[in-house]
Amino acid sequence: MTVLTRKARPVAAGPPATARTRRARERAWALAFASPYLLHLVALTAWPVLASLFFSMTDYDLMSPPTFVGFGNFSRLLGDEVFWRTLGNTAYFAVLFVPTQTALALLLAMALNQRLRGMALFRAAYFVPVVSSWVVVAYVADSVFNPQTGIANQVLALVGLPAENWLQDPALVIPTLAAVAVWKGVGYMMVLFLAGLQAIPEERYEAAKIDGASAWNRFRYITLPGISGTTFLVLVLTSIETLQSFEQVYVMTDGGPHGASELTVLYLYRQGFQFFQMGYASAVAWVLFVLVLVLTLVQFRLQRRWVHYA
Amino acid sequence: MRKTLSYLLVLSGAAVMLVPFLAALGNSLKSFAQYIQVPPVWVPDPVQWSNYAEVWERAPFGIYLANSLVIAVLAVIGNVVTSATVGHALARMRLPGKQALLTMALGTMMLPTVITIVPNFLLFRSLGWLDTLLPLIVPYWLATPIGIFLMRQTFLAIPRDFEEAAGLDGANPWQVFWRVHLPLAKPALATLAVFTFTTSWKAVLEPVIYLTSPENYTLPVGVLSLKGQWVGNDQLVTAAAMMSLLPMLVVFVLAQRYFVRGTMSAGLKG
Repeated sequence: MTVLTRKARPVAAGPPATARTRRARERAWALAFASPYLLHLVALTAWPVLASLFFSMTDYDLMSPPTFVGFGNFSRLLGDEVFWRTLGNTAYFAVLFVPTQTALALLLAMALNQRLRGMALFRAAYFVPVVSSWVVVAYVADSVFNPQTGIANQVLALVGLPAENWLQDPALVIPTLAAVAVWKGVGYMMVLFLAGLQAIPEERYEAAKIDGASAWNRFRYITLPGISGTTFLVLVLTSIETLQSFEQVYVMTDGGPHGASELTVLYLYRQGFQFFQMGYASAVAWVLFVLVLVLTLVQFRLQRRWVHYA
Repeated sequence: MRKTLSYLLVLSGAAVMLVPFLAALGNSLKSFAQYIQVPPVWVPDPVQWSNYAEVWERAPFGIYLANSLVIAVLAVIGNVVTSATVGHALARMRLPGKQALLTMALGTMMLPTVITIVPNFLLFRSLGWLDTLLPLIVPYWLATPIGIFLMRQTFLAIPRDFEEAAGLDGANPWQVFWRVHLPLAKPALATLAVFTFTTSWKAVLEPVIYLTSPENYTLPVGVLSLKGQWVGNDQLVTAAAMMSLLPMLVVFVLAQRYFVRGTMSAGLKG
């Protein structure tokens, strides 16, 4: 059919196009189609990476032109205790948040994967926090963790435990934030895991059952390897995101109490947009950028040891 | 037995998800006296629906809503159109350096956004776009890596025959794209649309950085600013927060399957 119609192709107006001009025209079209992303690469990828490297080596307050200071900002960062504390806070938050969310999401996905009735409804319930903005979540979380009127302390009182100050307690603020973050994000990750679980062939489980494998062994030797690809993707993306966490603390605690929940990107925001130290803020960004990249590369390296692609 | 356990787990989980929303909804319908009452009242008495009307009276809530809607709708259109054209170029057209572009798109998905905060602010500042809605819209018109990837996968899956049949009627590449491929990609377009809407609707960082005048505030920033102004009227701010969620919930209920599909195909959140 193609051969026939190709012969019947009407000749375009003007001189017949040679193969070369036709190819040139095809390329021009392709370039036009791709042009938004080409602009994106220049303006929103290359520019920020190069510009922030440049600005990280300057003092720039937006008023006077940037002055070059070499590695001055970086050596200042080395001795900046607050900056180190924000890195510690960020790491603490990530260590609590990422594994908890991953484990809970997997558990829920495995439960939902039992072909439960009303699965779509449950999935929707878990997804509502995912689509909510942090501003909404802040007020929803307040109904739970408000020390005077929140549900959490009511529950503690029921079982005879003393009330806690949650977000207002320097020792509890980060665990509480992590709990809220898990609550908000677990539904998203659960859906990812559900897709991963559904891709594991049913026969593998049946064969294992016939061989008399225990439930734990089926989980250990079929489920875990079967979803290791999904788990890897999820871990890489959530760690990248968690290290750059900003909105939650900006909205819920503003870094308090006494800087106990000051995360690195919140610190960057303050340096840049409250104190107008664009150079210093860029240096913070670059350090975090490198840390995130290193962590991502390490994860990619380690993936060979535990990720099985079917 | 296992099913019962699973039901128990999933049900109690769903309760943990939804009860706080109900409690916040309750808070939004209380008087301030009841809002701070200890021990707490769970069901407001009387139910103060007037809180919601009061938010509209006391704050430019309609303006926040309009700004959020304008940004979200334009972001959706921009991202869907440009990601589709770029995805089409990568999937179906003769483009030099195609593979490199694809690799870069995948690579920038992993690019930490922290690096872009300061330079993008300076870029939009030099364009004179600060305190306008443009920085929140225009980037979506330059295609997003995730959209490109999703659309490329979709266009790759469309059989060649369709294209050839249409191409031979003397149609140019735009017509092939517009009349043949785009209609076949509707589910993917819807997926990308709801994904973009959600990302734009719940954004906090960018509007906080770019918007300074209340008349330009989006819902999240607007509600956040009320928090500072209405101390002692927290039940009203809670009502405002609940209302800011409503349009998102409507979109979610209407297009739920696309949310799930978006999560699965993309594996990224906004």
